[in-house]
Amino acid sequence: MSDILKTLSDAMAETAERTGQSIVQVNARRRLPATGIVWSADGVIVTSHHVVETEERIRIGLPGGQVVEGTLVGRDPSTDVAVIRTNASGLTVPAWAEASEVRVGHLALALGRPGDSVQATLGVVSAFSHSADEHKYFAQTDVVMYPGFSGGPLVNVTGQVIGMNSSALMRGVSLAVQTPSLKHVVGSLLQHGKIRRGYLGVGVQPAHLPAAAAEHLGQRSGALVVSVEENSPAEKAGLYMGDTVVALNDHRIEDMESLLSALGSAAVGEAANLKIVRAGQVHDLSVVIGERN
Amino acid sequence: MNQEVLSLLASLNADMADAIDRVHRSLVHISNGRGAGAGTIWHPDGLIVTNAHVVHGRHDLKVSLPDGRRLPARLLAADPDRDLAALSVDATDLPTIEIGDSRQVRPGQWVMAVGHPWGIQGSVTSGVVIGSGDALPEMRPGRDWIALSLHMRPGHSGGPLVDSQARLIGINTMITGPDVGFAIPVQTVKLFLKEALGSRETIV
Repeated sequence: MSDILKTLSDAMAETAERTGQSIVQVNARRRLPATGIVWSADGVIVTSHHVVETEERIRIGLPGGQVVEGTLVGRDPSTDVAVIRTNASGLTVPAWAEASEVRVGHLALALGRPGDSVQATLGVVSAFSHSADEHKYFAQTDVVMYPGFSGGPLVNVTGQVIGMNSSALMRGVSLAVQTPSLKHVVGSLLQHGKIRRGYLGVGVQPAHLPAAAAEHLGQRSGALVVSVEENSPAEKAGLYMGDTVVALNDHRIEDMESLLSALGSAAVGEAANLKIVRAGQVHDLSVVIGERN
Repeated sequence: MNQEVLSLLASLNADMADAIDRVHRSLVHISNGRGAGAGTIWHPDGLIVTNAHVVHGRHDLKVSLPDGRRLPARLLAADPDRDLAALSVDATDLPTIEIGDSRQVRPGQWVMAVGHPWGIQGSVTSGVVIGSGDALPEMRPGRDWIALSLHMRPGHSGGPLVDSQARLIGINTMITGPDVGFAIPVQTVKLFLKEALGSRETIV
């Protein structure tokens, strides 16, 4: 017998133990506690939105056994992310994996701390799903989501965090919100207490472009403006019914979904370039992105 | 893939198969007239451990040894609360399993469970330890368990749970779903045997 299996086994246990230093217990619901990940050394914790039923006096169990109180900073149900602030300091921040480093077939450990000690399950990365909104990067895995694992990290074999696990995003499927989505959502929640999504104030439907414009732009369709709201960013930018939006900044717009997606990642309050087709001609407009309520 | 990686994977496969070979040498099949389960040879003079629910209330116990012999077994002790039982068969110089230490169990470590699910002799499932102790979410507090992320089935009951080096760390006992199993830690088995039978040397 060689010692490869033992080495592998020891390495996984060590990864669980080491990354466990960045995993906390989150008591914010009546039944079983859930798990959270240390976001910053000065006491910010991320966890799953669906495990946070109370907003004040949330008890956070730290890896050393100490319990501190936390307050909800904000939550985003669409990614099942919540951010909690505590007065703890000197917490251990985990290493984060870039989304590009994670591949289908990679081994992954799901870690949780519903009790005092860290717990682990093993699986592989099954698939990725990037939804219409650019900031939704999910990894699907076959890891077992043991009770209380929601809000815990999905980690690779070297202990880098691939994302945050949730059992509530899709029934019967283990999904992890990947690092880029998590950074975007948590950043926005910390800064604004909510997720800011861009707003133009137009009603659109997909429409084919005139042949000449289609050839010039290299795309066959765009978002035909069928209504413009009063005092909206679109009206202020000089957009009219009948215009066809074909790009927002670097994002190609071919239908409503791609426009929503581009607006989801657009910086609220800042000027953006809107490329349109009007009477067969391509024009550029400058629009200040509003905030969708 | 380079040659080095392929040879690592081959070694990994060989390690697993070697470990299972060793487990199979001391794995027994227990039939109770109505159903069946698995057990492990603990002592060369015929001491076998299994779950109490495998042998509960039955007197026509038969044990099939790895060498093919099928012998009647005597129930030495059973503890339904801990779900452990000790049997004895009239045999000597039997191959035993190496006893491990369940206090050293770590979340994330590799484990293999062996038994006879659906009557398939010596079938193996592998996975990792989720956690251990007496405060696991799905279990009533006060009893020690090892929670496992693997595909255990009812026929694994009474069979050995071993670590990467084929050392016994638990007795496969129950499942709470298709992907989660529970084993009784081997420390609990040691305590049970000590209380039920006295020291090992007195058992003949």
